[in-house]
Parts: sequence; structure tokens; C-alpha cells
Amino acid sequence: MTMKLKTLGGAAFAAVASAGLASADVCDTPSKLGDLGSFEGEVITIAGSMLGTDEEFLTNTASCFEKATGAKIQYSGSRDFAALIVADLRSNNAPNIAIFPQPGLAGDMAKEGHLVPLGDDLAKWMAANYGAGQSWVDLGTYSDANGKEDFYGFAFKMDLKSLVWYSPEQFEDNGYDIPSTMEELIALSDQMVADGNTPWCIGIESGNATGWTATDWMEDLMLRTATPETYDRWVSNDLPFNSAEVVNAMNVFGQFSRNDDYVAGGAASVATTSFGDAPKGLFTSPPSCMMHRQASFISGFFPNKGAELANGEADFFYFPPYASADLGNPVLGAGTLWTMTKDSPATRAFFQFMTEASAHEAWMSQGVFLTARKGANLDAYATEALRKQGEILTNATTFRFDASDLMPGAIGAGAFWSEMTAFANGQDAQTTADNIQAAWDAIK
Amino acid sequence: MINKTLSNVVLALIVFIWVVPFVALVTTSLRSETASKTSGFWTAYTPTELGHRFSTHDKGSVENVTLIEGNIFERLNMDKESFRVSGEVQSILFKGRIPDPDNPGKTKLIRKLVPAGEVMDVRGGDFVFQPNGDFTWRFEEASTPKPKKMDVFIDQNPVFGSDAYEQVLLNDKNVPNALISSFIVTIPATIIPITIAAFAAYAFAWMQFPGRDWLFVIVVSLMVVPTQLAFLPVLQGFSGIASWATALNQWLTDCELNDTCQVASKSFAGLWVTHTAFGLPLAIYLLRNYIVGLPKELLQSARIDGASHLQIFTKIIVPLSVPALASFSIFQFLWVWNDLIVALYIGPNNASDLVFPILLQKQLGTFKDQLHLLNASAVISMIVPVIVFLSMQRYFIRGLLAGSVKGG
Repeated sequence: MTMKLKTLGGAAFAAVASAGLASADVCDTPSKLGDLGSFEGEVITIAGSMLGTDEEFLTNTASCFEKATGAKIQYSGSRDFAALIVADLRSNNAPNIAIFPQPGLAGDMAKEGHLVPLGDDLAKWMAANYGAGQSWVDLGTYSDANGKEDFYGFAFKMDLKSLVWYSPEQFEDNGYDIPSTMEELIALSDQMVADGNTPWCIGIESGNATGWTATDWMEDLMLRTATPETYDRWVSNDLPFNSAEVVNAMNVFGQFSRNDDYVAGGAASVATTSFGDAPKGLFTSPPSCMMHRQASFISGFFPNKGAELANGEADFFYFPPYASADLGNPVLGAGTLWTMTKDSPATRAFFQFMTEASAHEAWMSQGVFLTARKGANLDAYATEALRKQGEILTNATTFRFDASDLMPGAIGAGAFWSEMTAFANGQDAQTTADNIQAAWDAIK
Repeated sequence: MINKTLSNVVLALIVFIWVVPFVALVTTSLRSETASKTSGFWTAYTPTELGHRFSTHDKGSVENVTLIEGNIFERLNMDKESFRVSGEVQSILFKGRIPDPDNPGKTKLIRKLVPAGEVMDVRGGDFVFQPNGDFTWRFEEASTPKPKKMDVFIDQNPVFGSDAYEQVLLNDKNVPNALISSFIVTIPATIIPITIAAFAAYAFAWMQFPGRDWLFVIVVSLMVVPTQLAFLPVLQGFSGIASWATALNQWLTDCELNDTCQVASKSFAGLWVTHTAFGLPLAIYLLRNYIVGLPKELLQSARIDGASHLQIFTKIIVPLSVPALASFSIFQFLWVWNDLIVALYIGPNNASDLVFPILLQKQLGTFKDQLHLLNASAVISMIVPVIVFLSMQRYFIRGLLAGSVKGG
């Protein structure tokens, strides 16, 4: 029976995928495009790692710039972007624009002097016009070879992590309300336990990357138990991993993940449940859990590959902050950083184009794309779910990038993962934090 | 006897291991999108149970009726020109609400598989279907039901089609573009090194000059230089040449400094040079070993007759070396045709000039859930080397043996 349902799920998804999106004129946006100048015949080369539909959406959006200015945009995407861009930059073959998926590599390239500063005007604009604007500016600010800090990375196209997924049908049947504070969320979880339901599905197994889901939980909880500045110091290890703030956040995570009443299958199952299988518990009958905290991409792992969002079988709410902590609305996420690697007037005009609400709307209308740009018309979002996620982004008061992506590889993609897995298996928080700090000391 | 059987078994096993992926590629490329996505290629040749979704009737086609009749296969095949579904209907997945026995007054959702012949309650009517696809939907009172979409499992007969090939070759210009680019890269990158190598091999084999043996040792030892090591300096070199050429172009044609007179540093020419450089050591080594084994007397008598080196080379060496030249060109052709990494770093990177392996790599991202298209392009890219190999195969074995077994 389960086998059959799976097969059918695939078939249904096939139908959804092949239906595709109606190709209306994406440049016909609610907001009008301002004057960008004329660059007839000039070519702007862009390198990035976006492929497939993302690449299609990118070129469609760029075509609006081509129409407005007469310039031509050449995008080359590769899954080996990180290796290729380093070779291109070091051998003077820079494209005009390089789109970095993570800030780490962009910072390295800035230090080698391969990036052109975008200027204070753009930084000021971003601080004023993006939700949690200053956070985005900080994310794109790196120091060059001389240690001078400049704004290099323009954030465009974002992902959201601080989401809790649930089944509206179940919430309605049980009479549960969407919590707006962490206190309410914990009260709701306890209520669910009292009702004989299991509140959470948590799974952190992911092959040789096992543990990353737990690091996302940790990061979200750090932002809810400590100030953003503390978070930044934690990321750079100015604040040691085994300090009280970090251990506290880990213990809060433990209140969820190591509570047999809270977790479907019991706390022992957390480390052995695949992150992709965990959300499926929301949709079994009877449901094995009521809520699942995971990034926006997870809907693709639902039994019907995300069709649940459209037909109302699944929904999400913002992973709320503590009302008592007064830390605003922190949001954890990711975003691609567009950097200028070869200066030209047309390239500068393209960055100007990316500040226009119209450019954001053009991409929003095509599919999976989130933006923190205030003033972009939310009606342009292709689906209601994207619109809701977009609202969370623009209403964020603090935005922070995934810490494990910012930490050195040996920590962020090593000790942090493996030690959090050990923590899920019962190792105590202080030992876990001490071990990660020891691993960090070892690479200094 | 046992030895022979054993070697035959081992040989058969090796052939099997090599052929299975190819069969999988070809099979998948000929299947429908749904089938390739939901079941393995080995199920393509026998009736297989697959899920489909059909709607009972067209909107507005019925009004105030007590009976709707139809055929599931007809409904499924309505807009299909290829991959028409046929076979035997196994079951329908029934989803609906029934009164909940545990909570009076509430309903609960049930999902169950209903077999052929069993009546199910759909929108107040009795729905029954037969294995051949005929279904009836009866209502006690005349009503106008909305079309109902149902998930149905069908034990489906094998069906193949060439849609994937039509799509990648005719609808998507990337594949034809990549084929042309690959030829543009591969043909010169095969001919140039083999020409240079033939001259060099002759010199190393039959001409006397100081330091000949040392030079040969150096050339041979260059074979161990890994390609990856050289990307950065090679790219830097090309970028230097390109900026010099741009300046020259500007001076000659008086064009303004914009992209019209910009000479690209990543180009097909760069690929030719790089492939030539990395192909030469092996080429010289192979050809020299072959040429050195040609009968000495032949060359001596030619020299006595007054032939120059060039005449000896063109009139005697080249015709006699055809097997070695052919076998090396197969080597080089296959290597360049299948090369991904050199093209990725050195080659042009605008969308219309990508070579086939890069296109395939990109399609892995795009078509990861459209396996039939990915496999169709993969088969297309395989056809060319297979043709080249088969047409030159008889030289290949002779040429390979030539260097190693020197009988006299």
C-alpha cells in the first residue's frame, strides 16, 4: 500500500512539473522600471551556480534589463561555480558579475582583491530598503587585502529557514491556534502532549552530512536566546563555542529534541531519522506529529512533493521568538550575493536595475524566489505560500545567515554536525560545546 | 578446457557489466516521462503497474443524468499522440470522508485501494469499473456531477516512443548547438596533435641530432603532468594573449574599446592548443615506437636513391604508419569528445558554445527529474564516438599492438 502511494505521488508530481508555468511577459510588473541609461551593444557576463529553472528565471529577469538598456547579458551557470570562479578571477578572466551562493568564498575573493566595491550609496540604499537591511549589508561587507572594509555583495534571491510546517486540517480538528511567541509554541507543544498527540517530527540524519538540521535548530535558537551581536561573535568564535550563551541555546534545543513526549518516535529516533523523511510524519494517518521546523525547501520532500501547499494540506508559520527576550523578529536564512568582478558602466547599471522593485517583481512572478526588498509588490509572488514567506522576510528585524555555512569547513561542515548528532544521542550540552571548541582551537 | 570456460564466463560478465548501463540509457530515453520517473528501466519490457490520474468526464458535458459511462483508457489517452496507455486496470485509490465511528458527528478521511468490480460511493453515486477500463457511475436521481479526478493503477503494457529525441533535437536548440561545438573542438584537436606528432616521431626515430635521446625522455616524462595542474597558468597565458590581441585589433581596426573588438580569452582556439599540448607526449611516444620498428632497409634504400627526409616521411613513413595514426586519432578523439574539465576551464562559456559534456552536466541540474530527456542527450553524445570507434576499429588493435610487441 505504501509503495503504491509513493508511485502515485511520483506520477502526480510529474503532472505538476510538466505543466510548467505560463510564460506571460515577466517584465510587465506592477512597479515601473526607472531609467537605467542606454548601453546598446554592450555585453555583461554573469557567472553563477544557478541551473535549470533558476537559470531560466534569471535570464528572463535579465531580459527586462536588456529590453530597457539594449545591453546583452550572458549568463553561464555551472555546478562547479566555486572552483571555476576562483580560476577565472586569478587568471584575469573575470566575468562582470559573479553570484556567490555563500559569503565565505566571496570574502576570500575580496581579500585577494578580485571584487570591486559597490559603493556606500548602494549599501545605504540596501540598509534602508531591505527587511533587516543592515544585516544584509553586513553580510556583503568584507575586508580587502589591506584590511579596509567595503560593501561588495548585493543580496538578491533569498531562502528562509525559520519556518514551522504543520497540517491545517489537524490544527483545526484539534482546535489549535498558530502560536505567535515561543512561550505560546511551548505551551502548544505541551497541550498537544496532554491531548495525546506528538508535537514534533525531528530528523537529522543526512548521510555524511548528518547533523546539519540540528545546527539549523541551534542557529534559530541562538537568535532567539541571545542578541544578534552575540550570534556574530559566536560565528567568528570571538565568543567561544562552550560559553554559557551557546550551551544555553543547545539546552533549549534539547528541551525539544531530547524530550520523548515531544518527538515522534522518541528522542532516540532523532539521529536516525532522515531529514527528508521527518516531515512525512505530518501527513500519515493518523499523523505521527503535528509540527516540523525546517527551511522553505522542505516542501519538495512532502509525499506529494509540495502539492500539499497548493491544496491546503500543509502550511507553515514563522518560528516565533520569545516575547520575554525582546529580541525583535530574527530570521535565519540564506541569500545569493551578487558581486562585481569587472567594472563597467553597464554593470553598474545592472546593479541599479537590481534595486528596482520591478526587477524583484519580475522574478517573484515566475516561481521560487524570495526577496527582502520592501516596496516590491507582494501580489507579484507566484504562489500564496511564497507570498507568506516573503512577508516574513520583509518583516524581519534581524536577518542572519546560516552560521554553519559561515564557520570554517572543519567546524561548520564537520565538528558542529557530528557533535550535534552526539548531542541528539544523549551527550550532554557542555561536553558537546567543549568538543566543538576543541576542534576549533585545533585549526587555529 | 576449464580455463577456457572460465575466461568465457569472465568475458561474458565484463560484457554484461558494460552493456547494462547502455541498455538502461537507451531504454529510459525511449520511455514516457511518467514511466521513466516512477519505475526502473528493467520494468519497461513487461507489463508493469503504474499510477495515472484521469478525470471522469469533461466539464459541462453532462447534465441531469442518472448514468455516466466511459472508458478509463479513452479518458487517459485523450490528448496523447504517443505513449498511449493500455493494459489492465488494477485498482483505484479512493479518497473520501466517511462518518467517524469514534467521534459521532464528525467525519474522517479514508484512503483505500478499490479493486475492479467493487462499488464505491463517489459524490453520492455508485462508481464501478472493469479491468478493461469501462466504468459506470450511477445516480439514483438525475444530477449534474462535477468531473471527478481519480488516481488509478494500471498493469500497463510496454510502450516506447521517440518523443524525448524529438524534444532534445528539434525543440531544444542546446543539443544541436553542443553537437556542432563538440565537432568544432574535437576535429582540429585531433588533427593538429597527430600531424605534429608524426613529424616529431619520425625525427626521434630516424634523424640523428645531438641530445635526441634526452629530448625524447623529457617528452615522454611530460605524460605524467596532470592536466589540472596547468589550468591556472594556461588560463593566465590565454588571458595575456587575448588582451594583447585586443590591443592589436584596436590599433588595426580603430574600433572603440568595447566588446566588439574584445578578443575572448576563453575560445575554441584555446581548447585546440590545450588539447594539442596535452595530447602530444603520448602521441609522440606511440608513433615513435611504431615508426622505429619499420624495416631499416626500406629507409636506407630510399636514402640511397636520393630521397630527402620530407620525401621519406610523406612517401614511406606515413603510408606505412596508418594503423598507428588511426589508433592514436581514436584515442585523442574519444578523449577530447568526452572531456569535461578542460572545456569547463578553458573553453568558451556562453550558452551557445558549450561542448556536449558540459551540456550534459548542466542537464543533470535541469533534467534531474526528466530522466528521459537527459538519457536521450546522453545517447546522442555516445553515438559519435561509437561510429568513430567502429569505423576505425580494425586499425585500432593493430596500432595498439604495434608499439608493444616487436617481433621483427
